[in-house]
Amino acid sequence: MADIKIEDLKYYYPDSKEPSLNKINLEIPEGQFVLIVGGSGSGKSSLVRAVAGLIPEFYGGTYRGKVYLDNRELRQIDRRCLTQQIGMVFQDPESQLVMTGVEPEIAFGMENIGLPNNLMKRRVMEVTSALGLSSCTNSFIAELSGGQKQKVALASVLAMQPDILLLDEPTSQLDPIAGEEILSMVRRLNEENGLTVVLIEQRLERCFHLADRILVMDKGRIIYDHHAPDAIAHWAVKNDTPFIPPLARLFAGVQYPEIPVTVKQGRRIIKSYYPVANAINAIKDRKPVLEKKAKVLQVEKKNIVEVHNLWFTYPNGEEVLKDVNLTIAPGEFVVVMGENGAGKTTLLKNINGLLKPGRGHVQVAQKDTRKCLIEELACEVGYLSQDPNDYLFLPSVYEELTYTMNNLGLKDDGIIKEVLNRLHLTNYSRDNPRDLSTGERQRVALASVLVSRPKLLLLDEPTRGLDYLLKEELGKILLELQKEGTAILIITHDVEFAAEYADRIILMADGTIVANGSKYDILTNSTFYSPQVSKLFNNIIDNVVTIKQGKDVLNQIIAMHNDDKAVPV
Amino acid sequence: MLIYREKDNLIHRLHPFTIIMFIGVVFFLSLVFSHPVYLLGLLIAVGAVITAAGNFQEWKIYLKFGFIMIILIMFINVIMVHAGDTVLISGPRVPVIGSLNITLEALVFGAGMGIRLFVIISVFCLYTYSVHPDKILKLFSSCGNKSILIITLATRLFPLMVRDYFRITEVQRCRGVKIKTGGWWKRVKNFLPIVSVMLISSLERSLQLAESMHARGYGSGKRISYNREFWRPRDYLILAALTISLGCGVWTAISGWSTCSYYPKLPETQIYQVDMACFLVFLLLMPAILNWGWKKWPILKSKI
Repeated sequence: MADIKIEDLKYYYPDSKEPSLNKINLEIPEGQFVLIVGGSGSGKSSLVRAVAGLIPEFYGGTYRGKVYLDNRELRQIDRRCLTQQIGMVFQDPESQLVMTGVEPEIAFGMENIGLPNNLMKRRVMEVTSALGLSSCTNSFIAELSGGQKQKVALASVLAMQPDILLLDEPTSQLDPIAGEEILSMVRRLNEENGLTVVLIEQRLERCFHLADRILVMDKGRIIYDHHAPDAIAHWAVKNDTPFIPPLARLFAGVQYPEIPVTVKQGRRIIKSYYPVANAINAIKDRKPVLEKKAKVLQVEKKNIVEVHNLWFTYPNGEEVLKDVNLTIAPGEFVVVMGENGAGKTTLLKNINGLLKPGRGHVQVAQKDTRKCLIEELACEVGYLSQDPNDYLFLPSVYEELTYTMNNLGLKDDGIIKEVLNRLHLTNYSRDNPRDLSTGERQRVALASVLVSRPKLLLLDEPTRGLDYLLKEELGKILLELQKEGTAILIITHDVEFAAEYADRIILMADGTIVANGSKYDILTNSTFYSPQVSKLFNNIIDNVVTIKQGKDVLNQIIAMHNDDKAVPV
Repeated sequence: MLIYREKDNLIHRLHPFTIIMFIGVVFFLSLVFSHPVYLLGLLIAVGAVITAAGNFQEWKIYLKFGFIMIILIMFINVIMVHAGDTVLISGPRVPVIGSLNITLEALVFGAGMGIRLFVIISVFCLYTYSVHPDKILKLFSSCGNKSILIITLATRLFPLMVRDYFRITEVQRCRGVKIKTGGWWKRVKNFLPIVSVMLISSLERSLQLAESMHARGYGSGKRISYNREFWRPRDYLILAALTISLGCGVWTAISGWSTCSYYPKLPETQIYQVDMACFLVFLLLMPAILNWGWKKWPILKSKI
């Protein structure tokens, strides 16, 4: 086992004038579970790469200060020896797996460090059993799900038996269930094997409670370092930092002295106010129902999307959509959720005309998609895929926008300037979009879609890999578009995002719509598709979904409790 | 896309060296032999092994393609080549080609070359469907680690790039890029954004891959190749049969039994030539025969 010690570390990437790491001083004792949070470009990834020795050895650049591993300077340690002590798992499983098969991939690291064949066999057997990969050791990597691929990446690193495990957003490209599984495994490794874990993660609601210590980074510096979640949550609310999970933000937002990190702890606090909470529930009950009725009336008037008895089968015979019926009105914000393979993306592709219905009808803006080419629908329907990089190839942001307009035969009547302004991209209009950060790239891709003034905007997993701040920005932009009458349909696994911004939630399973209703109906009556705030108030106070609603209710509870001077049960 | 599928038969459970030796021997003999009987024998042997491997359905597609090729080769050969004494049809004089005489020798030569092509295509079919790509690359990893790794990476990234291509095409079509309509030049031009995005994304991915490999110690010293393959009696039996067939094949080629000079007149095929061809086919059928026994008698499964 090994301690990490960093002294006055300052690092510039090649050709960069701003330091990516600035005056970093840090000590991580062995066996600690450290969570690093911060916005895009805050230096999180650079810090773990410095610990792994990839900075400066792989990246080059200017490097000052020292990183020690067990009191030995990292740069003095032989790389083969270092690889056996520090293992790193990266963000995208597709971009870190080398071999075609699972077993050779797991053995890849061990082959590199020259372990004997017998030992390799033993370790492959051990890690595949431990990570539940035994059934797919003979499979091809290309045939695995995203979660399985990330498990293989983790297994390949663990097979080298490192003392320190570094994980750079390992769940950002995975669905929630697969992500949860990976984090549970990491926790088990930390608790049962005493492995030191340094984790960068954006979905804090899943890992905040796992960490022994949380580091907050900004502009290359560690701006907060604490062990107690209470202190971090209060500090975050005071400094208006969004990098705490919704539950902690809720309680810290009302200045509650105790900060729960799990729903279980939160419910214990709420239940202690049970008589007051019950009284509030009676008042709160009706409002969302009225909201829902108003929406239904609007839907009945005019629809931008009408899907009737849609069936779709792929050429290989796989029946993916079964008798789907759906309408979307202008200005509606609809979120489609469901597990992988439920038919969400196929539904989206049937709506934007990429796929044509097998049976049934799909009408978008009164046009039958079967009779239109996708290019003809492109003016009415904007589509943003989950990877903004799929859009970007031109040398400037401005050219990306004009490219869409030229394709669609549209003239710039000031729309480019308007969209650039709205998405805060005016200063970047001459920059190469590939040089921008993740959030900025996504905004450029969105801008390239919005210049055609679509009546319907389709987004496939737009929050994947985004931090809290970027998600909030995206949510605000979408709400503005919604106010102007653009209908929005999003596929996402992000329940928290859906709870904050959607009007209507559609749940899909096995090619059918299994639930379709207001977010209050769907999210508050669900075990898994429910945000932390709803889980907190479940069966205590109804129809609480957003953080704002949660804060209002919590404030009310505390105020009534103080007024009545009621003694908690 | 990767089309290899592991199946429950003896061919898929051979040591990669054994199956690659079979493929190599058949391929080599198909180039050495020119006698149509010997070439037909090779086709029977490789066809039986493909069928034993459970890949007959896939081979059928190759057969259709091969059949068209044979017809084409025979047709072109009889039209263009007028050598041969046995004239079957005497046709009119055609400019450039000359007199259109169809000879038996040209017809049989065309058929012989067609069968040779058939054997080569079938050998590739066997390699594609019955051989695990990683296992073969592992076999050769000691001969050139870096080159093998590049081939492995290419095999791994190819399905990924195909998926990228379809996804990026969809995205660009949603931006109004016309891929399926308009003139061919415009369509070609409209492919540029797709190719550009693929290139840029592949470059970014290659950097991430390199980083992941570096983090797992690639290039930190001598690599040891991970090997989990076992040698079983079946491998020794087949390798012995292959060695004998290779030796006999080379000897028949040197002695002229398996070669054939089609022109000016087809030589008569001797009985000893057919006997030797049958013996060679029997040896090359060894994997298929063992597979048949392996399935029929469970005791054989445990013994070989």
